[in-house]
Amino acid sequence: MSTYHNFNKKPISRREMLEVCKGGFGSLAFMSLFGILPTACGKPVKSTPEIASLNLGPHHLPKAKNIIFLYMDGGVSQVDSFDPKPRLAKENGQDPRKKFKVDATQFNNVGKILKSPWEFKQYGESGIPVSELFPHIATCVDDIALIRSMTSQFPEHTNANYFLHTGSGLQGRPSMGSWMTYGLGSENKDIPGYVVLDGGLIPPGGLDNFKNGFLPASYQASILRPGEQPIANISPKETIKDLQKQKLGLISQLDQQQLEKIGEVDAVESAISNYELAYKMQSSIPELTEFKQETKATKKLYGFESDNPHTRGYAAQCLLARRLVERGVRFIELTCPKVSADRWDQHGNLKEGHEHNAIAVDQPIAGLLKDLKSRGLLEETLVVWTGEFGRTPFAQGTNGRDHNPSACSMWMAGAGVKGGTIYGRTDDYGYRVIENEVTVHDLHATMMHLMGIDHKQLTFRFGGRDMRLTDVHGNVIHGILS
Amino acid sequence: MSLTLVLLLFSDDPSNNLLFFGRFHSLVVHLPIGFLLLAGLAEFSTKWKKFEPVQAFVHYIWLLGVISAFFAVLFGYFLSLSGDYSEDIIFWHKWGGIGILILSSVYYFISKRQISIPFKGNSILLTAIVLMIFYTGHLGGNLTHGSTYLFEYAPNPIRQLAGLPNKSMPRKNFTKIDSVDIYSDLISPIIDRRCVSCHNSEKKKGDLNLTSFSSLMKGGESGQIIIPGDINTSDLFRRITLPMDHKDFMPTEGKQPLTADQVQLIGWWIKENAPSSAYLKELDPDKEITDIVNRQLGLDDYNFLRQKVQPPKKETIASLSKSGFILNALMKENYFLEANYSLSEKELTIQSVETLLKLKKQLIWLNLTDSNLSDDKLKKIGELERLMKLNLSKTNISDKGLAHLGNLKKLKSLNLYKTKVSEELLNVIPKLPNLKRLYLSETNATEDIVSQLNKKKQNLEIIFNSN
Repeated sequence: MSTYHNFNKKPISRREMLEVCKGGFGSLAFMSLFGILPTACGKPVKSTPEIASLNLGPHHLPKAKNIIFLYMDGGVSQVDSFDPKPRLAKENGQDPRKKFKVDATQFNNVGKILKSPWEFKQYGESGIPVSELFPHIATCVDDIALIRSMTSQFPEHTNANYFLHTGSGLQGRPSMGSWMTYGLGSENKDIPGYVVLDGGLIPPGGLDNFKNGFLPASYQASILRPGEQPIANISPKETIKDLQKQKLGLISQLDQQQLEKIGEVDAVESAISNYELAYKMQSSIPELTEFKQETKATKKLYGFESDNPHTRGYAAQCLLARRLVERGVRFIELTCPKVSADRWDQHGNLKEGHEHNAIAVDQPIAGLLKDLKSRGLLEETLVVWTGEFGRTPFAQGTNGRDHNPSACSMWMAGAGVKGGTIYGRTDDYGYRVIENEVTVHDLHATMMHLMGIDHKQLTFRFGGRDMRLTDVHGNVIHGILS
Repeated sequence: MSLTLVLLLFSDDPSNNLLFFGRFHSLVVHLPIGFLLLAGLAEFSTKWKKFEPVQAFVHYIWLLGVISAFFAVLFGYFLSLSGDYSEDIIFWHKWGGIGILILSSVYYFISKRQISIPFKGNSILLTAIVLMIFYTGHLGGNLTHGSTYLFEYAPNPIRQLAGLPNKSMPRKNFTKIDSVDIYSDLISPIIDRRCVSCHNSEKKKGDLNLTSFSSLMKGGESGQIIIPGDINTSDLFRRITLPMDHKDFMPTEGKQPLTADQVQLIGWWIKENAPSSAYLKELDPDKEITDIVNRQLGLDDYNFLRQKVQPPKKETIASLSKSGFILNALMKENYFLEANYSLSEKELTIQSVETLLKLKKQLIWLNLTDSNLSDDKLKKIGELERLMKLNLSKTNISDKGLAHLGNLKKLKSLNLYKTKVSEELLNVIPKLPNLKRLYLSETNATEDIVSQLNKKKQNLEIIFNSN
């Protein structure tokens, strides 16, 4: 049997028949009664073009319409950024195993307790302390809800990345961006609803961090690369415009015929919509990445005038993120720039490595927050800043820090978030969470809550059960909501 | 079998064993009610020819009724020994039950021996038994649920017939949270709903009566249950916050527990020294508490967003979509909408703005950023009274248009970024009582205007970069 048979029309099963009848009659009655599409969050109802413009909606009144996820690949050290621990300075150089129980670490090269090489200062009206690593972000603390009690289940990058991005440590689940666009749809028909801006580093675990998993294929991320041509082959090769149109017309016709024969098959349906979207992106993407309309002041705010090429690169990514928000893109993730010192994963040379990474992202992120705020966009945009886990308060070797899934600092800003808050607490060494632990599931539940989605209600039936981003976990972190 | 029963009853702690059976009273008591009413019906039905053969069996039903009535009375007596019920309140219930037992035994013999009492004695006796079952049953219900239970939701005329006062209406006049009274508007209603059915002047479980502030503060058999200012020693607070399977947990016996909001509110009230009356404003609650109060009383947005609105008309949606609007449903259980024009490349026409007015009831968010909006069109926008969020940024509007927005009383966020507004802000903004955020960067507003606005409206956050 050839694989071709995968695309043969399957006879309709009893269950499908019932499903079709139920949904068909139900929604028909509903539409004729009310003339609009029900807000069937997570149930993309096939709709007539006339009412398609009324999108699938949220469960409750949302605070955020978009999310910008600033992913700090490798794991920023919490005790060197947002969680100052004076005790580390006092006991610098002592054996941590005499002070507290030390878990096995990735390299098990446990050194002495290591004080932070950076000083902390309090900022803003809220007085949240921030280290010298982030002098620009520090000026925005009154808009930030800082969480010092994040934990992960995995001490290793790949699994921790899958966990953070998909709610499961194993490869193959839909990523959070896919869930959001699946549940809420996208307002912009010319740009994909879920975009990853590749700063140069694809996180360990690869593109599966951004995939649709068992959700329909059109909900996977589209990845834009920095530079002249953000998407490969975006400018048409055909010299005559009509020629391309005719080609696409033919392909679409053939696909449609096939679809009529075989019924609803995600692979073919998604291929058709991909062609349509790709065609629109030929004009929408060049317009998006064209920064001519941006003023000099705006560009300066983001760090376009920096001496550091990585700062300039990340600044462009942040500005692009704002422009995507303006164009109604639901979920935007920024990955880290490829600085000379590897990602935030400083197993050695903590000072040098973290400084390289911080310089690249600090000013652009602060610029993004300020620009979003003055345009009124921060009110409907949730900005999330986090790594996949934290780092140990003791050294790996002499001057590095190993992975620590027991405590990690992260922050959120914008829509529905109470600025100037600190949530959760770690012990005196910043090693373990002792108050208000926030799991990755809690983070996901909260992000969904702010987008108007009840994380317990947004499900997709797969493998015989109703799957959720938060599986059977997750509590909304009410302490940081405004 | 009977030996074990006797042994159980008179072992070390007889009263506990009696009470054990006593608690079965409310289960067993439904048997004689059913059996005796059935017997009465069967007796009655024999008047029809078709049912005459039933006559031969009726006395069996009576016998069942008598036996079950005996156990109901016995267990009921055991239960009364618990002391949870004052003597005068159970007096009629007790003697009613005993009376039913005696009369139905009598009727059993009449029925079995086919005796006919003169002057319609059979019918009179039968009617008496049925009426006594109703009345005694009603008294029992009052004991379990409280005497106000049955008529709690009855229309006022019926309540008057039953000799009850009219239903107390919740105070409606507080539109503002500041004028809410902590005890009479918040705490007392919670206690009335959740506690008073067991702790009232008639049925004082634990010798506790929660019907008034003074009796609440007096406490019960184990002393005071509220220690003002201290939730840790207040027994009431301890009991409502225990795990639900704890034997001290309240409300007990599977009754609906207090919600998290209600628990928190009571805790806060105790912490604030449990005043018998105080305006919320005086107590200066934090945001968490005011949110709870808003939810409890259905004030503010919480209330507004729950009032059902009509679904929008299909033609309106279609026409607006055609002219470039994206319409988003904002919640599942109501038809509030957002209209977004920010992604449209078309010209905004006065016709489409007029069509928006057809969504006056549903529209709460409107985004017209980066469109060819002009001052004259704002006149119509100013009629969309339910708007909570309005984005007019990057348009050509000026003071002339802004003047039309003074009626948007629900507005919480107004985005005027990169517009030409200036002086008129001082007139319009103070008219918007709910405004929380105002975006004025890159407008003609000056530092001076902003500082004047800040003085006029303390709770307003103005986002303004002068450079």
